[in-house]
Amino acid sequence: MATTVLDQPPNMAALFAKAALTARGRGGDLPDTRLARTGVTVDGGNLAGYARVCGFPLTGALPATYPHVLTFGLQMALMSDRAFPLALPGLVHVRNGIDVVRPIGAAESLDLEVWAERFATHPSGATVDLCASVTSGGEEVWRGRSTYLARGAKAPAGAPESDVTVDVGTLERSVATWRIADDAGRRYAKVSGDVNPIHLSGLTAKAFGFKRAIAHGMWVKARVLGALANRLPESSTIDVGFRKPLFLPSTVTLATAQAGGGWDAAVRNATSGTEHLVGTIRPR
Amino acid sequence: MASNSKPATRKAAIVGGNRIPFARSNSTYAQASNQDMLTATLDGLVARFGLQGAEVGEVVAGAVLKHARDFNLTRESVLGSKLAPSTPAYDVQQACGTGLEAAILVANKIALGQIESGIAGGVDTTSDAPLAVGDDLRRVLISLNNATSLQDRLKALARIRPGMIAPEIPRNSEPRTGLAMGEHAQLTAHEWEIGREEQDELTVRSHQNMAAAYEQGFFDDLVTPFLGLSRDQNLRPDSSLEKLAKLKPVFGRALPEGAEATMTAGNSTPLTDGASAVLLASDEWAAERGLPVLAHLVDAQTAAVDYVHGGEGLLMAPVYAVPRMLARNGLSLQDFDFYEIHEAFASTVLATMKAWEDPAYCKEKLGLDAPLGSIDRAKLNVHGSSLAAGHPFAATGGRIVASLAKTLHRAGPGKRGLISICAAGGQGVVAVLES
Repeated sequence: MATTVLDQPPNMAALFAKAALTARGRGGDLPDTRLARTGVTVDGGNLAGYARVCGFPLTGALPATYPHVLTFGLQMALMSDRAFPLALPGLVHVRNGIDVVRPIGAAESLDLEVWAERFATHPSGATVDLCASVTSGGEEVWRGRSTYLARGAKAPAGAPESDVTVDVGTLERSVATWRIADDAGRRYAKVSGDVNPIHLSGLTAKAFGFKRAIAHGMWVKARVLGALANRLPESSTIDVGFRKPLFLPSTVTLATAQAGGGWDAAVRNATSGTEHLVGTIRPR
Repeated sequence: MASNSKPATRKAAIVGGNRIPFARSNSTYAQASNQDMLTATLDGLVARFGLQGAEVGEVVAGAVLKHARDFNLTRESVLGSKLAPSTPAYDVQQACGTGLEAAILVANKIALGQIESGIAGGVDTTSDAPLAVGDDLRRVLISLNNATSLQDRLKALARIRPGMIAPEIPRNSEPRTGLAMGEHAQLTAHEWEIGREEQDELTVRSHQNMAAAYEQGFFDDLVTPFLGLSRDQNLRPDSSLEKLAKLKPVFGRALPEGAEATMTAGNSTPLTDGASAVLLASDEWAAERGLPVLAHLVDAQTAAVDYVHGGEGLLMAPVYAVPRMLARNGLSLQDFDFYEIHEAFASTVLATMKAWEDPAYCKEKLGLDAPLGSIDRAKLNVHGSSLAAGHPFAATGGRIVASLAKTLHRAGPGKRGLISICAAGGQGVVAVLES
């Protein structure tokens, strides 16, 4: 296993372009590479913008989903590299798990590490997990696991079955209605750096086979956590499944219920009831 | 007792009230600002009680929808009124509970001997409503304002996009749920199985009671005409069940599938403009000036509920506040001669009463051994309430306090009245008055 430490945050737009241009002819097993950055500090302006776009209160601690933004560039760098077996365009984020070991202060100096694992067989293709670990002073404070589905792809022989199911209890009571504007993707792209064209406009989304632009799954997850911000356990495991794409603009409802010392939550289309996200938040 | 020591707590007297007739939104008062209406209302009160040039202990009032320039709305209104310019004032805001909360604050200072007299009020306009520039434009304008060089200014200006120009209009919806208050009330009505017909009945009674009160001259010393209006514009003396039955439901998009929407523009309060004020004092202050004491403010209570994730109805907080206040005063719900339950929606009044009658709810939610029981409908909102008068948010408390105090006074000494007002944000403000 080799760990490469990057001095600079990767340039995301360039990575997306590179990934698109080198999409063809990929294959093989997952690379045995880890990408890392050390001594990363949070930009206060970016954090404030992120909190505003996602509905988090601005405090001295990072929102549970914010370290995903910090590590996302490394994920992208790993996936756009030619050694990565799956083509980035067309990958769908289907599940995201976060372990908040302890709340992270906004001024902490953080070390980030990202790797890929669990190349698995899925009924409609293959999934891969992009994992991230955040440490502070040598102690792990945050872990993330993003599961991506590549439709039609094949995992290597002997690969395990993929696990993308998140179970929640019945969620009958909708507690909030959100009117999501058509620029939600552009707004989140600005603060997260995730400039995947499927989120930015109808036109760019069409180029990748979507009828309209779709909301970032991690933004929807962040909004759910923002709505529950002051009621979450300090240390928690937050596991969400992304079901059907949330087309922009949309009106959706949030349903919540207390469960297991934490919460179950679902985001659904306000009229059709189509499920976009289901998730569980549990104390660690 | 030494002459310079504080007196023991005493009960604040309600001397009287004044309000302007309430106007429907974007109608007669469309050009009047909150400050215009509050000043006119204060001046009416001044005229009624001979307070020209007088300094009262404090004026407390507020508005729910407020322009940024109105940061000192009440003090500015006092300065524009006939009260002495040396009268201090401050603003409060507790959504639809503002007016009653203002009266409680004034009464408490009188009770503690910190002031001898005070005026509580409230005003709201949905016609002259504050429009805000959108958040994006606002940030650009703030950086433009902070820019010190021409280059920085141009840079800020270059960030303006056509889409940013649309203003943000204040919405009558809960920030955390995105639902209009009426949608929340419709959910509660559904949960408590409040039917369309009983809502319409309550509405007709409100209009009839208020029309009768106007006919009998009840409001003659409570209302001062303003801008050509001498009665509440929303009042429909000829309101009937048949007419109300024709109205289509206006809320209900948050209801579960198949549930009946029962709330219409008739059995919900309309957006309204108006202002009200109440004069409170110590008994001595009133006696010195030869002013009447209509009633005393005996006690008050607020409560709040978790309507976001807790499953409680947005407007159910008064249901919680009342039993706490009753227990403290050793009273039962039936120990009242009059009840003023603010008619935000007819269904709100009905759900409130149904909850107090429900043994399981009273036990599980309110922690009571026995339900509070029912109240005599003949004693409820006897001179009409918000469905008839309209509901300029912060002005409703003052309207109710003055009307109830007068009602109690006319009924004779020792009569008791209950006020219950629900407010946005899942809050409730309640009070007991006694003649």
